[in-house]
Amino acid sequence: MSFIEALSIAARSVYIAGTATLLAFTWSFPLAYTMSLGRRARLLATVLESLVGFPTVLVGLLVYMLFSRSGPLGFLGLLYTPYAVIIGEALLVTPLMTGILYRVLETTARRYWEVAVSLGASEGQALATALREAFPAVIATVVMGFSRAIGELGVALLVGGNIKGYTRTLTTAIALEVSKGEFEDALALGAILLVIVVSLSVAARLLLREERP
Amino acid sequence: MIELRGIWFKYDKKWVLRDVNIAFKRGIIVMITGPNGSGKTTLMKVAGLIYRPTRGEVLYNGVNVWSLPKQKRLEARRHVVYVHETPILLRGTVRDNLTYGLKIRGYNEDRIEEEVESIVESLRLRSLLDKKAGELSAGQSQLVAIARALIVKPQILLLDEPFAHLDREKRSIVSTLLREYARERGMGIVLATHDEYLAEQLADNVVNIEEIQGGQNIG
Repeated sequence: MSFIEALSIAARSVYIAGTATLLAFTWSFPLAYTMSLGRRARLLATVLESLVGFPTVLVGLLVYMLFSRSGPLGFLGLLYTPYAVIIGEALLVTPLMTGILYRVLETTARRYWEVAVSLGASEGQALATALREAFPAVIATVVMGFSRAIGELGVALLVGGNIKGYTRTLTTAIALEVSKGEFEDALALGAILLVIVVSLSVAARLLLREERP
Repeated sequence: MIELRGIWFKYDKKWVLRDVNIAFKRGIIVMITGPNGSGKTTLMKVAGLIYRPTRGEVLYNGVNVWSLPKQKRLEARRHVVYVHETPILLRGTVRDNLTYGLKIRGYNEDRIEEEVESIVESLRLRSLLDKKAGELSAGQSQLVAIARALIVKPQILLLDEPFAHLDREKRSIVSTLLREYARERGMGIVLATHDEYLAEQLADNVVNIEEIQGGQNIG
């Protein structure tokens, strides 16, 4: 495998996992926020937390059935496209992101909301303050979601199909190289994956250190 | 004046406050006592207009606050400040924390600077002013939290265990200042504290929360 090809696969992986994480965030955050306002959300939070360990291959299978030609969303023609992988990975990381964001909003944000209100903030000002204070934890959650998305194999393989130059990601490429007995290439791709995940985590830590009180 | 009239409050299924009746007046220092878990903090937060009671009325100068429209309620809330037992400081510097309450009230820069100078002088916080909140000790954080509340000059100030992390010198500074604010500025001060000696030195009235819980548990 050429260096350019490996880079191209890495860039596609970052694009797919990044888009999936952002997509999941767009619904996870409002959901977690709504849950944090309700008193009966703990049961839902427990369900979501138990879904964090949902097998990726099972998510892949469900999304496959959803987008397959005979499935309910088959008419969209998304199977074996990067979009199907993005949607599948977004669904995969939703319980993780919603569960953590709920805890963040329930504890950190609520504490700061209370402080702001006690100091005379309006509801809008208190919400802005609470979200500002929760920002580091929100970023950490997004990084976790991304790490889970970029490192998963089941969804990418089943609904992406590992098509060269189109849906091939680092994890599906590693699986392919191993099946061909090309362990050096597989290890090289694994190293790239590791570098991406660790770099992002370190970058987030540095950012949050700058942001620390 | 803040008056709690027939206040009931429950967390999940447990009643924490049962038919509580009490008034906190301007210029008076009241100490609330009671064992852990007896509802002191909840009482303070209800009086601080943070928690809405399950039943009963919270009157600010005779008006039921929770029946007021949002804007009017906000105006009432800005005269009552509650300080948490564990100091919770906002991200940023001590100055950012001190100015928060003033900024959200729309004070201009000159007025803010004047108020900061005054409180920094009173509580001897000058050396901490540009420090990040996260670099402070527990005692320093508590002092800043108290300063952040005093700077907005509330009519009623509710302090939950205000001396918990303070050394003897700081306790003396804070208690002298609280007495001054109550006597000279007419600030009503409510203290929930286990430091009975210090509180009795300060307090005009001592109230045991168990004695003001009127009702029996109801479903």
